[in-house]
Order: sequence, then structure tokens, then C-alpha cells
Amino acid sequence: MNGERLKLVISGPVGAGKTTFVASLSDIPVVNTDEVSSELIGKSTTTVALDFGALTLDGIQVYLFGTPGQERFAFAWDTLLEGAFGLVFLVAGNQPATFPTARRMLDYLTTNFPVPFVVGVTRKDLAQVWSAEEVASYFRLPAPHVLAVNATSREDCREVLLQILRFWGVAGTKIPPEKAEHAGTSSH
Amino acid sequence: MSKQKELENVVGQLRSAVPDITGVIVASSDGLSLAGDLPEGELARAAAMTATAASLGRRITDTLELGSAEEFAVKGQQGYLLVYRAGDKAVIGVAARAGANIGLINLEVRSATEKIAAVLG
Repeated sequence: MNGERLKLVISGPVGAGKTTFVASLSDIPVVNTDEVSSELIGKSTTTVALDFGALTLDGIQVYLFGTPGQERFAFAWDTLLEGAFGLVFLVAGNQPATFPTARRMLDYLTTNFPVPFVVGVTRKDLAQVWSAEEVASYFRLPAPHVLAVNATSREDCREVLLQILRFWGVAGTKIPPEKAEHAGTSSH
Repeated sequence: MSKQKELENVVGQLRSAVPDITGVIVASSDGLSLAGDLPEGELARAAAMTATAASLGRRITDTLELGSAEEFAVKGQQGYLLVYRAGDKAVIGVAARAGANIGLINLEVRSATEKIAAVLG
């Protein structure tokens, strides 16, 4: 896939860590569109248009597009998802109150844009956090589609991207033996 | 007078100053409607789009070093949406007919944005 250019979209509800994820993964300085939040969302700023980043992985140029999380920006999701090769859908593992909204959002996105996706459960570094297995069960998703992530960790974010490439069956991104045992097999 | 009423007055004044204007939305910079004279069902959507446009416009002018952002203009065959910052906390979207006097709109919007910024503090 040398010389290939791919578009990865990072979405999910407000405060899940999308902007952070794009920043962690991007080789170039990220283009943000943060504005002061007038609502109490647990942080002072929020994305109102998009985050844009880019990285090169195994000779593949990957462009990162982070979406806003609030549903009032749904009109932007459609534009941002056009032509995407994969979707990273982040949910904050310490904010289960956002899960019902997240499920609705994920349903909408995957219905309208059926591309390989991975749900990233962020805040894995915190004490009281839902595990990837618990979130997979809640969203009724197979295990390989849900990964625990620390969105500030470049390696964690990279792993999510690699998982999407694996779903595409991209050569050169072989699943390491310990992950192959879990991927696609029933509980054991 | 409440802030809401003051903002509604600014919207009303802008409308009456320029007949070519067909709608006005004042939104917080994160896309929530503060005041406007669009139909009820359209306010929320217009507020979000106006905020997105304003933020994107400012990001473009910063990244491409075009100086400080003045307006973000969307031009369709049947009319315009012109988006401006109104202080740090708010943005204003002005819908106008095709062939509208943009220069006059810009002038009137300048005083409107100053009033909005003063109201919101």
C-alpha cells in the first residue's frame, strides 16, 4: 500500500478524547477548531468544526479528521466521514452516562458510513473505568472492535489505527500471536 | 432589560437597517442559539453551522496568515450566509438575498457585533 493516502475519522460523544487522540497520533502540528464551551462538559473548550492531523505508517499516508461530539454538529459528521477508510469511535470509559448517546451516535455513523471501525474506550489509565470487554458487551460488539485506550499515548492510538488496517487485511500488519488468540474467537 | 431581550433588539435593528437581510442568528461560539429571527425549528441548526463556519474561518486565516478573520461568506445562487465574530463569546450569521448590498451589511454588522460583545461582556 505504498504511496496510498487514507482518511481516518475520529468521532464519539463530547469529552471522549477525540482531539487528544488526533494530537497523540499526528506527526504534523494539528489543526484544531476549539472554542470556549458555554456548557458544562468537564473541560473549557470544545471542537466546533474539526481536528486535522496526519501521519505516515508503513509507507501509508493517513489523514486524521476529528469530529465535534455534540449532536448539533451532526451536519459536519457527514462531510467529515465522506471517503473515510475507517472510523475510530471513542467513548470515555469513566463516563458511562454518555453511553446511550454514544450508542445512538455509533448506530447513525455506521449505518450511513459502513466502514471498518474500532470503539476506543478512553481513560484506561484511571481507576474506575469500564473495561473494553464491558463496553463491548454493552454495545453488543465483537471483542476485536473494542479496545481500551489512553488517548494521550501515541502507542495506544497507533494500535487502534493498526486494528482498522487489519480489518482491511492490509499485508504487513500481522496480528501478533497473543492478539490472534482473542481475535474472532468466542470466549475462552 | 434581560440579555436575551437586548440581543433580540440587536437582531431586530439589524433586520430593519438592511431590507436585503432575510434572517439573523446570534450564537455562542460553541454553536448554541442565543437570539435570532429565523423560524423556531431552524435556530438550533443555524446556530451550530454559524459557529462551525466562524471557527473554521478563523482557523483558515490563522493557518494561511491572512490576518485577523473578518467574515466567512457562503454564496449560493439564491442568497448568502455571512458569518462574523461578535466578541470572544459569540458569532453572528446573516442570511441575505442574492444581489444584497454586502458593503452595507458589513457596516451594519460591525455595530451589531460591538453591541453583542458589550451585552455578553
